[in-house]
Amino acid sequence: MARTEQQSNDRFQGRWFWRYASPAAFYPVAGRIEKLSWALAAILAIVGLYIGFFRAPTDAQQGEVYRVIYIHVPAAWMAMIIYLAMAFWAATGLVLGTRLSFMMSHALAPTGAIMAVIALWTGALWGRPTWGTYWVWDARLTSTLILFFLYVGYIALAAAFDDKKKGDRASALIALVGAVNVPIIYFSVNWWNTLHQGSSVRPGSSSMASIMLTAMLIMTFAFWAYCVAAAMHRLRTQIIEREAETKWVKELVK
Amino acid sequence: MIWESWSAFWDMGGRGFFVWGSYGALLIAIVAELMALRSARKKALESVVELKRLP
Amino acid sequence: MSLRLASTAVARREFQLFARRKSDWANPLMFFVIVCSLFPFAVGSESERLRLIGVGVIFVGALLATLLTLPRLFDEDARDGSLDLLLSSNEPLAMLILARVAALSFGIGAPLILAAPLFSFLYALPADVALMLALGVAIAVPTLLLVGAIAAALLVSARGGAILTAVLVLPLTIPTLIFGAGAALKVLFGESPVAELSLQAAYLLFALALSPLAASAALKISTD
Repeated sequence: MARTEQQSNDRFQGRWFWRYASPAAFYPVAGRIEKLSWALAAILAIVGLYIGFFRAPTDAQQGEVYRVIYIHVPAAWMAMIIYLAMAFWAATGLVLGTRLSFMMSHALAPTGAIMAVIALWTGALWGRPTWGTYWVWDARLTSTLILFFLYVGYIALAAAFDDKKKGDRASALIALVGAVNVPIIYFSVNWWNTLHQGSSVRPGSSSMASIMLTAMLIMTFAFWAYCVAAAMHRLRTQIIEREAETKWVKELVK
Repeated sequence: MIWESWSAFWDMGGRGFFVWGSYGALLIAIVAELMALRSARKKALESVVELKRLP
Repeated sequence: MSLRLASTAVARREFQLFARRKSDWANPLMFFVIVCSLFPFAVGSESERLRLIGVGVIFVGALLATLLTLPRLFDEDARDGSLDLLLSSNEPLAMLILARVAALSFGIGAPLILAAPLFSFLYALPADVALMLALGVAIAVPTLLLVGAIAAALLVSARGGAILTAVLVLPLTIPTLIFGAGAALKVLFGESPVAELSLQAAYLLFALALSPLAASAALKISTD
């Protein structure tokens, strides 16, 4: 890399993006982002849980069980946001042909699926004392379930091809198709829900005290940091796997 | 401290099962993911070592 | 050869295949008939109960029967080499796929549309609901085939393709299921089905506009 003196120049010409689109160049950057994100996730989770459990009062309507929303709502949000991020990187990969973008999509998918599962599980446990049953066909829970199916489809498709390049592009296309359909599915599930009289009590409704909201927001950032860290770790593993033949990866292991 | 005692904290106003069931599941999911991440990395690095040993 | 000639040729070939191999449309129909007949054994034969689940059973049965025909879209052609001809054609691939999906919609859809009202009588549904169900199925079949064409194109001759196609396609059929079955339910409860019906049709138009393009991109990826 004899380009060091050009670095500042390149940045202004927009070429920095292309440089970091190379897996070899992004590998150390991803490592730094990962470390920072683990630390952030830990600190934010401690602060958020402290406020949520030791400062925020009991909810007048729901009692103590509302404290589940400190993880339920962030998990549901992350499941949604990660799918969009996945589709964004899939589109970037299809348009620009950058290998790293596809890897980013693959790295995000398992964490997104886990977030969807956590949102469903905690939603069920929150629903039992609040609604009286573990599962209600509530619009948000149902949409999260469908989102989980979309994640499963993406992951299964990416694994179905022996040819990695083909699997990259195929799963990227299905991520895009899913992302285009997600708003339509949300709309139709909402429609269906009002038709069939769903439950009206929802986790994280606007009547929350501001200290509860603060704790929930801090936890959301903690989840965000965790997801970034996990994705970066997975990304680095993928880079090692796919670049195993290159000199720089071989030098990585002594 | 808004809790009268630690047992009141664990009891969560009688809803302990639901609150700690949720947080426990989250903990299990995170630990499982971290273990999966670690084993995948180990496998990748081992295959690189394998590749290096071959001429 | 002009685009119109090419698409008619593709569609005509499809119809000839349908006429020659009756199993292509008869098997999905038989599947549908059997699935619809199974449910009363599971839930009981009281007409009150059957009426409530009838719309859903018939709709989901029709969707599953259509899903079974998806491998037919490209798999055989990949094996006998006609897919390469399709790919090397100068005409836009999306239009050829559209012609093929249209022909398949008629071939698979027509028997299902005729069978759906018949089965609504077995589920103690009134005649107006039966008609609405037929209309809903008529919109749902091409919608599923359009969305499914993308997955079928991606998984041409891939291992485990059939199951994976179902996993990929079924979640995307939820809108057409909600609105199609919703329209029939509205009629059952004596309300106007116009809103549901137009939303279901809108989803079909949306799929019509986008999925041939996505399917042709998918075909290029998988046969690359």
